[in-house]
Amino acid sequence: MLAFRSEEHVERWCRNMGLERGGLLRPEQQWRLADAWYANRLAADWQRRTPAEAEALFAELGLEGDFWRLAP
Amino acid sequence: MNETDNAVRVHLYERFVAEGRPPGVAETAAALALDEAEAAQAYRRLEQAHVIVLAPGTTNVWMANPLSAVPTAFPVETERGSFFGNCIWDALGTVAMLGRSGRVETRCPDCQEPLVFTVRDGELEPVDAVVHYAVPAARWWENIAFN
Repeated sequence: MLAFRSEEHVERWCRNMGLERGGLLRPEQQWRLADAWYANRLAADWQRRTPAEAEALFAELGLEGDFWRLAP
Repeated sequence: MNETDNAVRVHLYERFVAEGRPPGVAETAAALALDEAEAAQAYRRLEQAHVIVLAPGTTNVWMANPLSAVPTAFPVETERGSFFGNCIWDALGTVAMLGRSGRVETRCPDCQEPLVFTVRDGELEPVDAVVHYAVPAARWWENIAFN
């Protein structure tokens, strides 16, 4: 997960690396995902999200489609 | 996660945040009154559960997500100290985990221009950037060092 100046920079980097373009997030989406994912990581009662719970969070942030699928 | 593994997890993260480096198996064993073998097994089970990542062939913690035990391209400043995140998600996750105010500095991999993400009281300041995930979610753990 890398941060780029713009989508154009992502496109050029992917071409140079021989990679297909993957998933794109706006900075605000990435912050909200990071906050939801890690804010309680130090808590004694923290539990890893199930794939279904993680997908529900992705969907809440507008991250939908095959790229964001985890549950079998 | 059983009780021992959770106690090891909590201790590992507490020490990592307090000291800026993850505790070794011997330190964790001593702190929690465990045999070293028990602590080592707990580290390995936490890795299998995708909670931490060990350096290949060792029980040394490489990642206790969102934190990295080695320097990365994602240095993070928080109210509780300076750390390295494993990627932009983890770097911002470090801010989220440690008070929700902080700053991540990285560079665009294409042009090497600096990019700064600043969070104040849980709000990300506007930043002209986009985040790219190279690998689909279902394959993130195939090679956690490349996403």
